[in-house]
Amino acid sequence: MQTTLSREQALLEAERCLYCYDAPCEKACPSAVPVSDFIYSIKTGNLKGAMEIIVEANPLIDICGILCPAFCQDVCTRKQIDSTVRIRALHRYIMENTDMEENLEIPEATKEKVAIVGGGPAGLACARELRMMGYRPYIFEKKKIGGIPAQEVSSARFSEGRADREIGFIKKHFAIDVINKDVDSIDELANGYAAVFISTGLADEQDLGIPREALEGVYKAREILRDIKDGRTSKAGKRVGVIGGGNVAIEVASALKAENPDRDVEVIYRRGMKEIKAFPDEIEEANELGVTFQFMAIPKEIRGTDKVEGIVVTRAHLGEPDESGRRQPEPVPDSDFFIPLDTVVIAVGQKADKVFPGIQRKENGLISVDENMMTSVKGVFAGGDIVRGASTIVECASDGKKAAEKIAKYIEGSVGNV
Amino acid sequence: MYKEKDISIDFLGIHLENPFVLSAAPPTDELEIAYDGLKAGWAGVILKTTSVENNPVLLKYPMMSSFGPQGRKVTGLGNIDLISQYHIDDIEKRVRILKEAFPEKMIGASIMGARKEDWQNLVWRLKKAGVDLIECSFSCPQGSMGEAPGRMLAQSIEATEKVTGWVKEAAEDTPVLIKITPQVTDIVEVAHAVKRGGADGITASNTIPSLVGIDINTFEPYPSLAGKGGYSGLSGPAIKPLTLRTIAEIASNVDIVISGNGGAFSWRDAVEIMAVGASNVQFCTLPMVYGFRTIRDLKSGLAHYLMDMGFDSPMDIIGKAIQNIYSHDELPSPYTRAELIGEKCIGCGLCFDACNDGGHRAIAWDGNTRRPNIDEEKCVGCAMCMQVCPVDAIRMKEKIDDSLNYFVIRR
Ligand SMILES: Cc1cc2nc3c(=O)[nH]c(=O)nc-3n(C[C@H](O)[C@H](O)[C@H](O)COP(=O)(O)OP(=O)(O)OC[C@H]3O[C@@H](n4cnc5c(N)ncnc54)[C@H](O)[C@@H]3O)c2cc1C
Ligand SMILES: Cc1cc2nc3c(=O)[nH]c(=O)nc-3n(C[C@H](O)[C@H](O)[C@H](O)COP(=O)(O)O)c2cc1C
Ligand code: SF4
Repeated sequence: MQTTLSREQALLEAERCLYCYDAPCEKACPSAVPVSDFIYSIKTGNLKGAMEIIVEANPLIDICGILCPAFCQDVCTRKQIDSTVRIRALHRYIMENTDMEENLEIPEATKEKVAIVGGGPAGLACARELRMMGYRPYIFEKKKIGGIPAQEVSSARFSEGRADREIGFIKKHFAIDVINKDVDSIDELANGYAAVFISTGLADEQDLGIPREALEGVYKAREILRDIKDGRTSKAGKRVGVIGGGNVAIEVASALKAENPDRDVEVIYRRGMKEIKAFPDEIEEANELGVTFQFMAIPKEIRGTDKVEGIVVTRAHLGEPDESGRRQPEPVPDSDFFIPLDTVVIAVGQKADKVFPGIQRKENGLISVDENMMTSVKGVFAGGDIVRGASTIVECASDGKKAAEKIAKYIEGSVGNV
Repeated sequence: MYKEKDISIDFLGIHLENPFVLSAAPPTDELEIAYDGLKAGWAGVILKTTSVENNPVLLKYPMMSSFGPQGRKVTGLGNIDLISQYHIDDIEKRVRILKEAFPEKMIGASIMGARKEDWQNLVWRLKKAGVDLIECSFSCPQGSMGEAPGRMLAQSIEATEKVTGWVKEAAEDTPVLIKITPQVTDIVEVAHAVKRGGADGITASNTIPSLVGIDINTFEPYPSLAGKGGYSGLSGPAIKPLTLRTIAEIASNVDIVISGNGGAFSWRDAVEIMAVGASNVQFCTLPMVYGFRTIRDLKSGLAHYLMDMGFDSPMDIIGKAIQNIYSHDELPSPYTRAELIGEKCIGCGLCFDACNDGGHRAIAWDGNTRRPNIDEEKCVGCAMCMQVCPVDAIRMKEKIDDSLNYFVIRR
């Protein structure tokens, strides 16, 4: 679990930054946070200046200071001497020691109304940027404003109050209104919006595609995470198998173990430790909680009559690399074995739901957009996970920012209005 | 998204959008480089020192050397540079081009001459080109021309006054700054001479003559030119305390405008330099080490400082600290003791060593708990322990007239 840096730690960490020219970290950050500049400002003791730099660049920076996978750190030049500068921890240090409301200056909202459907990272970022350009963004949200970080990311990693800080900040200063509404079709939006931004994320979860998935005791990962986040006891039993190797699998495994330390929680993954997609910090945390791992195991069928009794898996062997560059698991003949379980949690990916008729989608259900982020319907733009597929907060924030620019250009008549 | 505070100032009748100016040095020695500096947001430039056409400038390389810890290699920067290789004919052109490109910024130029005609000629030509300000280098560590070659002009009171007079006579209403060296017996005398000569202000100060280092395997000085080396002009963070002293002494004793220079590396340094009496701050080593992009934090850091302190303008800081500077016999004698902030202590024991071998043996060390214990009876309050504590866990408690006060290092 990452914690807040003390002042001494932050200053020492900042001193480690080389202040590279053409800094690779800044290029790796999807939101183009000027990393070298903000760390330089920490060194000189100009925390407020540092805060302004990062808040302006990334509308979700307070959240990213805790949850970002920190693409920047992968490419840090300092690694060639010893190890990466802890850039994300420095974001957090700044955001916890400054006030993002101070000296805020927002222009009058005099321009057109824009409807934003979905109040997750992409929608929030788009609203903020539109409002900074003088437009009037209205956010339509069917559940809780904030999207996945507010609805699903476990409170152990990201507390309720913390989510409210930045989400509340955007809601208070930048959204003209947040309307609680489940929008199924663009036509439902009242007239008077000059443009629409769809940022509804990925509402559904993928199935595993093996027998008896509908049995009692089989759940989807995010369903469980939402229950826990909302303060309900999860439906999981005493022996839980989590299927998958991504961040969501590790997150739900940790959350279930933390909810009840007596329960056995095993992550069942079809490849090896090396191929696992989840971030190292998350795996380490799961390990510390006592989550166990069954690697090289391909789920074959769930067993049970009324309820889950276990899962049959086939031992895997790693073959040729696939498009993602990771080696593909291949079943080893006659190697099936049974794992007794009372609960199976499926965490094998997200998928789009099927709303917004008339808007062109790709085969996988994701919305297609052109280079201006505009969908097949004129004036309707889309971004975030619903376009990218499962991604990250910082990428969605960057989408929201870019979309705002494109929308402004469209309204002004210089984009997509031929 | 955030309000931008106005940090502009008036400097000798010249409007500067911020107090930060590039000094006469490599960052202003090429037209394109100076141009980029202004574009990046610096409020003005002083083009590197030029002279009349017939004065050859023979540079030798390598020119630079430095010292400092690994983390920040350049604490002190040494150079054996001379004045610009570009003569007044080039500089006139540059002044015109830059003034046209940046009418709102200060375009100054630095000059050095030998005879009266040279000094005055340089001034007339720059004036005609439209220069905003003229700075005279009386302090090149590699020596000056004319009067006493090899010696700095500003080391002679008479020459300083006389040459200042020549320059001001030719400059008329164009502001003139005299750039001095701290390497003199009495800086106040020099400042008086500048004032008597009629200059509008003093640039305090130039680099300081130094020997940056010796290679202990070959015994070659740094920088080594095929085995031989000489004395360098030292600049950068290492010289800031000397600059502060120089400026404070001038500001306390002579009524003259000061352009602060020497060792400024951050907005904090700039605030300190202004607090002891400078009206603006010139920079050379900072942009040489980290580039012109450093202006961003200089401006933002100063703006936030002013807002936090409730100052309207950077000009409100000028000379703020002077009233607190006294000679040793005028200083009060508070009852002072070191105090340990227990929860901050990490048990490194550095304070013990400092006090035990370099102080008054007032700190006891408990090897089991790894904690120092300060004996108030033995402590005299010298504050040596506080200098070495890596986590600011020691502060000085001072009592005077029944009022208790804590003196803490804030960085
Ligand atoms: C469990 C989990 C943990 C994650 N952890 C991390 C992490 O640590 N770091 C990281 O960078 N990324 C993480 N991610 C990924 C990240 O959360 C997503 O990439 C990001 O939230 C997507 O943003 P978005 O705005 O596109 O959509 P979402 O965050 O999904 O937000 C969409 C919003 O739209 C609303 N909505 C949907 N349909 C409608 C409709 N028809 N009408 C009105 N409102 C609607 C939803 O209620 C939701 O609020 C995680 C994802 C999951 C599932
Ligand atoms: C390489 C180099 C060349 C310099 N050349 C000149 C010069 O031609 N004229 C001058 O007045 N000062 C010259 N200086 C001094 C700088 O203008 C400045 O006064 C000095 O470096 C102190 O400021 P700093 O600590 O911010 O660098 C030079 C400094 C350096 C490092
Ligand atoms: S937002 Fe994420 S990727 Fe960007 S600089 Fe911050 S931690 Fe790095």
